[in-house]
Amino acid sequence: MGLTDRVRQYRNLPGFLQASLNPWLIKARNNPERLAFVLHRVTGFTVLLYLFLHIIVTNTPARAGWEAWDSLMEAFGAALFNKVGEFIIAGFVIFHGMNGIRLLLTEFFGVCIGKPEKPKPPYIPPSFKACQRRLLYLVFALWPILWAIAGYIIFKG
Amino acid sequence: MARTWTMQFLQYVTAILLIVLLSFHLAERIPWITGISYHESLKSERVADAYSSYGWVLLLLAYAALFHGLNGFRGMLHEWKPRHGRLWDLVFIILFLVFAGIATYTVVGLPPLP
Repeated sequence: MGLTDRVRQYRNLPGFLQASLNPWLIKARNNPERLAFVLHRVTGFTVLLYLFLHIIVTNTPARAGWEAWDSLMEAFGAALFNKVGEFIIAGFVIFHGMNGIRLLLTEFFGVCIGKPEKPKPPYIPPSFKACQRRLLYLVFALWPILWAIAGYIIFKG
Repeated sequence: MARTWTMQFLQYVTAILLIVLLSFHLAERIPWITGISYHESLKSERVADAYSSYGWVLLLLAYAALFHGLNGFRGMLHEWKPRHGRLWDLVFIILFLVFAGIATYTVVGLPPLP
């Protein structure tokens, strides 16, 4: 099967691949909601993997004693690779958290949902309207600022 | 597994819990708040003090984060292969129990400082 056929096949595949973890096949241009959706999933999955690792590592004192914990933290602090990893995870956590707050506000607390209206053409979904877009742009604007602060703490702190 | 509505509701509740608890957990590492450097805050004396003073908060954070993360992952697996729903529910339960057990042992089985 050629690449074109494969792409066409994925494009017609309903559900998981096209809808979630395949941003290259999704028409995300002029669609920041779609970009936020994909980023939310990718960051969420990565942070879950980090959480597993974090729980295992923080178990070190109970498993091997405090000396093992101190030597582990010294090794972690000395290696640039670990700091870069921490920096990436911090960025993922910040995006996932901020976008999560936006989702909580709109989906759970009903902020920026507006009154029900008849879907007259040209129909614009509520999520594309000014209030919700502003929240989304706020997330994208604050994310690099908070990520930079986290980077400063990790590398210089 | 519980009803879809219940699981989604719990997903939102754990998200609210995580905003509070994770902010607190991350604030423990911010030098401008604690007055000590990031790497100093990870030394055994500081960590042991945190576990003994408010270990239950960290444990609650671990449970909430595990539930929220694993339930989100379960949702993705359900979308990927809806026919294996029971298998994904079982994966969720097993992973939650294993990692919640490790987290509990971290707080409960903590040795005294040398």
